[in-house]
Amino acid sequence: MTDVIAPILIGFGFGFALQKAGLTHYQNIVNVFRLTNLTVLKFMLTAIAVAMVGVFALSAEGLSSLPSVPTTYAVGNLVGGLIFGVGMASTGF
Amino acid sequence: MLSLLKQKQWSPYLAGALLGLVYIVSITVLGVIPGASGAYENVGGLLATVFAPTLANNTYFRFVMPPGITWEVIMIAGVIVGSFASARLSGTFKASTVPDSQWRQVFGGAIWKRWTAAFLGGIIIEYGAGVAGGCTSGLAVGGGLFLAPAAFIFMAGMFISGIPTAMILYWRKF
Repeated sequence: MTDVIAPILIGFGFGFALQKAGLTHYQNIVNVFRLTNLTVLKFMLTAIAVAMVGVFALSAEGLSSLPSVPTTYAVGNLVGGLIFGVGMASTGF
Repeated sequence: MLSLLKQKQWSPYLAGALLGLVYIVSITVLGVIPGASGAYENVGGLLATVFAPTLANNTYFRFVMPPGITWEVIMIAGVIVGSFASARLSGTFKASTVPDSQWRQVFGGAIWKRWTAAFLGGIIIEYGAGVAGGCTSGLAVGGGLFLAPAAFIFMAGMFISGIPTAMILYWRKF
């Protein structure tokens, strides 16, 4: 049962945060690439900073173990990012 | 508290902090980094195994992204419910076929234009996420919080191509 409830609750918080940040609106995504609206960056970098502090504080206290970190394969990450940016800037997703 | 939940939009810093908390809970309690793009690959692989088994029989679906109704697929259902709840609480929920204001001003109100762009752009986004090993959620935020180089290389690539794309699309407009 937790196999279903847990991801739904995590997804709920995820969708709630994105909607409240206004990232369900086309212009809030596209305008980050026109450098006129930095909502995406403010939102993402705040999330990274908060999660970084929380996750490492809890693991330093021995309260959690860290999952495997996304692997770095520079060419793939870069080429994938280049393709991704074209799609993101043209759709506003 | 209720008035906060009913607000139309939050400061991106507040909403970002909420997302950070969601990541902390997911990683420390469940041991999973939340990601969105993987769900499409899992479902895509599932459809391929049913309708085109020869296409599904490759290294990518056998080892990298196994098909199935995975944790991430169920999470997407939660994302839909969560964003719907947020929009309903603030009274901004409505169904629309073309985005308001900016899209209409620049590209007009034609449904086919928006839906073609959304369909083709969606393919490009998902393909890019597949090549990169994740998207803005699983790779950029989920990797960024571990200071994984992959996350920052991905974000750099995203802006290197995103800025010229927006410049071309918005040529002499605005």
